Amino acid sequence: MSQEESRQRRNGSRRTGGRAAAAKRPIGSIALASVAVSVFLLGLYGLARPGLVGTREAPTNRSLKIGITQEFENLNPVIMSMSATNYMYRMVNRTLVTLDENTEWKAQLAVEVPSLENGLARFVEFDGVRKLEADWHILPAATWGDGTPVTCHDLQLSWEVAQSPYVSIPNVENYRQVEQIRIDPQDPKHCTFLYREPKWNFDRPFQFYFLPSHLERAVFEAYGDEPEGYEQHSLYTRDPTNPGLYHGPYRIKEIQLGSHVVFERNPTFYGEPAHIDEIVIVLIPNTGTLEANLRSGSIDMVSSLGMSFDQALAFAKRVEADALPFHVNFQPGFVYEHVDLDLDNPVLKDANVRRALVYAIDRQGLVDALFEGKQPPALHFVSPLDPWFTDDPADIAYYEHSRRKANRLLDEAGWQMAADGFRYGADGQRLRLKLMTTAGNKTREVVQVYLQDQWRGIGVDVRIQNEPARIFFGQTTRKRQFEGAAMYAWSTSPENSPRSTLHSGWIPTEENGWSGQNQPGWANENVDRLVDALEVEFDPQRRLELIHGIIGLYTREVPVVPLYYRSDVSVTPANLTGYRLIAHQVQATNHVERWNLESEAVDTSRRASR
Amino acid sequence: MTGFVLRRLFQTLVVIGLLSFFCYYLMTLMPGDPIDEMIAANPNVTSEDAERLRQLHGLDQPAYKRYWNWATMIASGDLGYSRTYRVPVSEILGKSLLNTFVLAGAALVFSLLVAVPLGVWAALHKGERVDYVVNLFAFAGISVPSFWIAIVLILVFAVYVPIFPAGGTSSISFDMTPWESFVDRARHLVLPVLSLSFLSIGTYVRYTRAAMIEAMSNDYIRTARAKGLSRDRILIMHGFRNALIPLITIVALSFSTLFSGAIITETVFAYDGVGRLVFLSIQRNDFNVAMVAFMISVSMVLVMNLVADLLYGVADPRITYS
Repeated sequence: MSQEESRQRRNGSRRTGGRAAAAKRPIGSIALASVAVSVFLLGLYGLARPGLVGTREAPTNRSLKIGITQEFENLNPVIMSMSATNYMYRMVNRTLVTLDENTEWKAQLAVEVPSLENGLARFVEFDGVRKLEADWHILPAATWGDGTPVTCHDLQLSWEVAQSPYVSIPNVENYRQVEQIRIDPQDPKHCTFLYREPKWNFDRPFQFYFLPSHLERAVFEAYGDEPEGYEQHSLYTRDPTNPGLYHGPYRIKEIQLGSHVVFERNPTFYGEPAHIDEIVIVLIPNTGTLEANLRSGSIDMVSSLGMSFDQALAFAKRVEADALPFHVNFQPGFVYEHVDLDLDNPVLKDANVRRALVYAIDRQGLVDALFEGKQPPALHFVSPLDPWFTDDPADIAYYEHSRRKANRLLDEAGWQMAADGFRYGADGQRLRLKLMTTAGNKTREVVQVYLQDQWRGIGVDVRIQNEPARIFFGQTTRKRQFEGAAMYAWSTSPENSPRSTLHSGWIPTEENGWSGQNQPGWANENVDRLVDALEVEFDPQRRLELIHGIIGLYTREVPVVPLYYRSDVSVTPANLTGYRLIAHQVQATNHVERWNLESEAVDTSRRASR
Repeated sequence: MTGFVLRRLFQTLVVIGLLSFFCYYLMTLMPGDPIDEMIAANPNVTSEDAERLRQLHGLDQPAYKRYWNWATMIASGDLGYSRTYRVPVSEILGKSLLNTFVLAGAALVFSLLVAVPLGVWAALHKGERVDYVVNLFAFAGISVPSFWIAIVLILVFAVYVPIFPAGGTSSISFDMTPWESFVDRARHLVLPVLSLSFLSIGTYVRYTRAAMIEAMSNDYIRTARAKGLSRDRILIMHGFRNALIPLITIVALSFSTLFSGAIITETVFAYDGVGRLVFLSIQRNDFNVAMVAFMISVSMVLVMNLVADLLYGVADPRITYS
């Protein structure tokens, strides 16, 4: 037998042997595989068997699960800085005054809002300096969750904590305005605030919070002189479910940072008892899965800190098409989307170029095309919901969409249109503008392309250069390094002084540690004077004239290109009543006690059996 | 052996020290600091307040001094304070680490239980139909993005056939028995574990198959056959044992991810794990949380490399540590 034949026979026999073995193997392999698959499927079935599986049912007043996409911290009101924490805070604590759902200032924990007219506020003079003092009376029935009355000592503690050099609080201004708090020794629910400067908005301390002095005073005294000592030892950190920390309609039953917070009805709440027994706020960081969570019943509602605007638009259509049991709410608010123009840029120094840029944009077309008209176009920085808003042509400069006017202004500014469709200056330099925004923000990126197209139509060569939000806000806009145009939003509240965004003293510079939000670098003496006067003007009518003067200068000089006012969105169960989406800083949770998931009859009988 | 282990442990500690400084320094190079974040979020922060806060947080000091303060704090057993969540780092990180360990551990065990037999099976049927099918699934697992498979799993098993929760770590309920809690926790793990396993199963199948094919083509396998050893003995004692070396490397490295988290899976399934926590901490300049998580991750990689080196000796007696 040749070697080759021998090899072939060996191989053949091996193959034959292999086949024989394979003929046996499948039985064992298949049996093993079948056992493994059966065990796996049985395991899955065991976990998924009926009875354990949640189904989509309309929520009742027993429990409401709300999804949010933003992280939250502990609920110490003086220290908190995140929007999600602020959203939850209004469920557990209240303030002296509040901004209600109709954008009106109302007393909340105060018996009455002090004013010069009702005699609870008055001008006083100390060492020849004119100051203001106001009497605050706290509701007699207001108590903390452990039954201890809410008093002015709680206000005094937060005032002391906020001004401590060892506590990390960014916004001390609310507290610093108050020079002294005098508590009535006979009635701790009555105190007199002495304000450093007589400012007309002294009666709106909606961010002057209460800290329970009967619990937190000892912590502050023990650790207040260590860097971050108070924050680390506060009961809001160490014992967050202590009922004595909360005086709102709810108190915290469980808090798991990075996951969820469970709120239960506070039996000692001074106001109308809440309808819903338990509210759970669940963190779902991925906006893409919010809808799946809603439809699967993992959550019943999406807060205003949830879906993006375009997601909400798409979901609203599906709700209608599939008759899903939800309402998708849209509410235009106080977030002003705009484009800051760098006024140090030689091209943008010319007001005619800036005006041409505004004329070239069809803002109504933009909001209709991209937002189905649910976000209104902006005329200037004051929202239409704000009492200070004006669209009176006598007050402001109007820029209706007109490519003809834009082209004429650019011609006058010396930028001539060339055959290639771009404009060039006398020195042959092309009219070029860098437009920046936050990378990955889908809505802004679409708007950016829209602007690029519209400005291209008047011969402006727009170069898009986006950056991650962290760099864009932390470095580029804050240090005024955007060179051309930067698109982002300002968030304001009604009748808010525009000092930080328009006053020349708030142009970020190295000398002032890059503080302030006047990123365009707009310096206008008249505006500075008007802002200074606005803050100390007690006559509402005169204030209106002053702010309209500022708006007039703003619209005429165009340091900023207005785009649109952003709308907040939320999704609520179809059976939820008493809810209103609020698009200002005092969130919808400010009236959470009115939220109701059952008919009046069912709710009343449940309350009776409680 | 002891000398080798001690020497490697010393090297590991030195590398951890150097890497900690490197990571800390890199973080200080990122644009902006925590105070910049505060200023960006709050227009009313004055320059005086910004200066005060920088001093309070020690941000006015050079990077090496800040690193030294951090390192001495860690050495004293204090993990620091999270400025994002306003709680001690140990409080927030401990729970997330445990959750991540459970998720990644379950995914690893499940992946190995599925992938190793599949890989061996495919290797033994190289070129046959079953091999092609296994390979197809393996490549699909490697190629499909994890966020996509996660969303598909949610849609199928939480929305259309609602048998598993769409997300979360566990149900929020105060009246569950320990057994109900256990089952509830397991139910919440099913979809994230499947999602996480999909990629690793593909990878492990490919490694196992390749290693097994190579091992089974060696002369000693032919010798073992010639000696008349049973098929199972050849397969397990001679084939699989020799195929273990590359598998040990990849599994040991996978072990190191048990504490570093899976950002995408955790985010999509709203799973309270360490990956998402670290991502947010870096975004928000929360150095204390990010650095501790980095250190755990780095330590795990180094320690598991050491473990892998030791296991090589167990798998292959020819490897010595003298």
